Amino acid sequence: MTERPAESQTELVQRFTGRGGDYYTQVFERIEQTTGWHASFNVVAFLLGPLWLGARALWLAFWVVFMVEIFAVVLVGIGIFGDLGSDDIARADRLTTQAAQRMEAAQKAAAEGSNLAESMHKSAEAIATAAQKAREAAEASRGQAAMFVGIGAALLALVRLLTGIGANALLALRFRQWRSNNSRPSALPLARITGTLLLVGLCYPLAVYRFARSDVPIWLVTFPAATDLRNALSVGIDQGVRWIADSFGGFFAAITGAINAVLNLMETVLVVTPWPIVMTVILTLAWQISGRRVAIFSGSALAYLAFLGFWEKSMATVALLGTAAVLCIAIGVPLGVLCGRRPRVNAALRPVLDFMQTMPAFVYLIPVIAFFGIGKPPGIIATLVFGMPPVIRLTALGIAGVPPAIREAALAYGATPRFLLLKVDLPLALPSIMTGINQTLLMCLSMVVIASLIGAKGLGEEVLSALQYAAVGQGILAGIAILMCAMVLDRIVQGQQK
Amino acid sequence: MDTAQPDDVIVLEDVWKIFGKREAEALSAARAGIPKPEILSRFDCVVGVAGVNLTVRRREIFCVMGLSGSGKSTLVRHVNRLLEPTAGRVIINGADIMQKSNADLRRLRARDIGMVFQNFGLIPHRTVRENVALPLEIQGASLNQRYSLAEAALARVALSGWGNRLPSELSGGMQQRVGLARALAADPPILLLDEPFSALDPLIRRQLQDEFIQLSRDMGKTTMFITHDLDEAIRVGTRIAIMKDGAIVQVGTAEEIVANPMDDYVADFVANISRLHVVHAHRIMENADKWRARHGARHGDLTDFAPARADMTISDLIDIAAKTDAPIAVHDGDGTTIGIIDKARLLDGIKGDIR
Repeated sequence: MTERPAESQTELVQRFTGRGGDYYTQVFERIEQTTGWHASFNVVAFLLGPLWLGARALWLAFWVVFMVEIFAVVLVGIGIFGDLGSDDIARADRLTTQAAQRMEAAQKAAAEGSNLAESMHKSAEAIATAAQKAREAAEASRGQAAMFVGIGAALLALVRLLTGIGANALLALRFRQWRSNNSRPSALPLARITGTLLLVGLCYPLAVYRFARSDVPIWLVTFPAATDLRNALSVGIDQGVRWIADSFGGFFAAITGAINAVLNLMETVLVVTPWPIVMTVILTLAWQISGRRVAIFSGSALAYLAFLGFWEKSMATVALLGTAAVLCIAIGVPLGVLCGRRPRVNAALRPVLDFMQTMPAFVYLIPVIAFFGIGKPPGIIATLVFGMPPVIRLTALGIAGVPPAIREAALAYGATPRFLLLKVDLPLALPSIMTGINQTLLMCLSMVVIASLIGAKGLGEEVLSALQYAAVGQGILAGIAILMCAMVLDRIVQGQQK
Repeated sequence: MDTAQPDDVIVLEDVWKIFGKREAEALSAARAGIPKPEILSRFDCVVGVAGVNLTVRRREIFCVMGLSGSGKSTLVRHVNRLLEPTAGRVIINGADIMQKSNADLRRLRARDIGMVFQNFGLIPHRTVRENVALPLEIQGASLNQRYSLAEAALARVALSGWGNRLPSELSGGMQQRVGLARALAADPPILLLDEPFSALDPLIRRQLQDEFIQLSRDMGKTTMFITHDLDEAIRVGTRIAIMKDGAIVQVGTAEEIVANPMDDYVADFVANISRLHVVHAHRIMENADKWRARHGARHGDLTDFAPARADMTISDLIDIAAKTDAPIAVHDGDGTTIGIIDKARLLDGIKGDIR
């Protein structure tokens, strides 16, 4: 332990605390001398609670204590001011009057000798019992009031006690931080005191008021929302989308055309070609690229699809998502390389990728329909939006993770940028890129059901109709078929990496 | 190799390197003599290299020695322009490489300069042979050429037969030999070695140092050798430059630096260096005429003394002195006695009292 000159320590503590320096000099010294926990009690902190913590800028402790105390204050408020059981009492009163009326009517009927008198009498008695029960419930609620107050007060006392006990340790900790880093908050500036005072002084009464009274103004319960603004905005967006759709019709048509070209090629290969050829090719590919085990697995997966009559739909689905995946990779890998090399592009693209992954598909399905109509191409575009982020992110990660020493060595031997990219960066980033492709494939497949909502036929359509008719069996079978497609594709693409 | 080229192969003229956004301001401040810590706090710039002038002559091994953070690795990266100097000129074989186009610069790097890195910088998914052939591949050599030249380079570093392995299958010492083979594969006249043996254990390091000295002598390369180890610099270097805070403190042969350190910083370094193998007879001998004047002896007496050559180290002289009681007479190449070393003088020389 280092001995500091007593004077400088005292001066430091004086400067740090701003007020009560003498007390804290002693306390800090004792804390620093004690091994383990030094028990002390800060009366000011106990009395002032969150005010003390706020004024000392111990914000974490402040917020914890503040939240718990608000809760305790609300409990006490409900207990003292709250009209607990007022609903029950009102009901009891209502029922009592009703019972009295019925009783009167029953007596009248009895006097007239009606045979209904008996049953009227019974119902009047039943109502009276209900009234009695309501009154009892109200009584019970009244009894709860005392409990609320009790719990609230106990909680409040406990929190204050803990504050008083922990206060000095917290402040000593902050003091040590401040000593090595003078930018940590210290002393007691007026602004901080007023701010804390305002916060506590406004929030506590408001909380009590809101929970304690039943007739609070409506603006205190629900936020006064600007519904007009929302309507105006959404109308504006509607018009904007319509304007874009009208003005750039040719552009969107061109995209649709391009996607259709790829899609038609895929469909010709997978759907139009007779199934024995397609199956043979898939199995041979699986065997050659990924080995015997994957080939056997693919064989059983294809058998499942074929025997259960999913073959055509599966191939249509694979064509659809194959197109989406090919486009994802063709756009995503170069973008990922750019992101990995240019931190600024990465920073700019990140929120876009977050948006693409987080935004529910149904939200962007609407403008996609507006721009591209319905059918397969818009389905592919919706899939693209969802499926592209992983391959971009993981490519960027892989490229950024290429050891600089290896790139430097290649540069030192005169490597051109192209050589560096093709022979150094991409091969070294390959494992990461392959993971990205795997993720993108799987995410594309998970979109087939949603894509089928806007007319992209295939296995998704099966699932959709099963959903509409609550056909559990059909849904599960079609779902497994989608899974089979995904796994076969992924295992073949991943090759022998595993 | 073109013999018409100048003998000063690498010339650095007042090279400055400053890292940071406000490098121009920081440069003028540093040139005005403002110390490094102040430049860091005022401009948020780090001075990597501060006004270095040096010349590496043909076929010499020029060692740059300094502690970590002294800027030596930064300095060597200016020679092939992996780093752009903030100011100054870098002249290789008489041509200013700052004036070169990107394509010319790549050609220079591929053909004329081989570089070896502390952490090897081998490409992990390529075989040893493909790694060694990298410079040739970049130059666009045919597959045949690449194969045979890479094999030849591997043979030079005693790694024949390892060509088909992956770098990860080799030990650290072997990986660095691969790095060396890669630097030699395209037979460049200039080698840059950035702490090549620092990551290796002492035994392997010594072995590789010896191999490298042999190779460099055989092949006649001009070498700039970066190290933080003065022992290594003395073993390997023809001349040594000592770097501190981005600037060169002293340049000279090992003997000059050990026997005559320029300032306290260098003196601290050489304090623990054994002088026995570094300092030569001509540095500690007493002039023959002075000796005669002091002792009043005639010329003939000197012939009884044990003979020694001027380029013998103290260690050699100790061997001679152990066998005779007479002083040692130091001869030059013609056999003329140029100096005398008696016992007291020899002991002073071992202690380092003679400068």
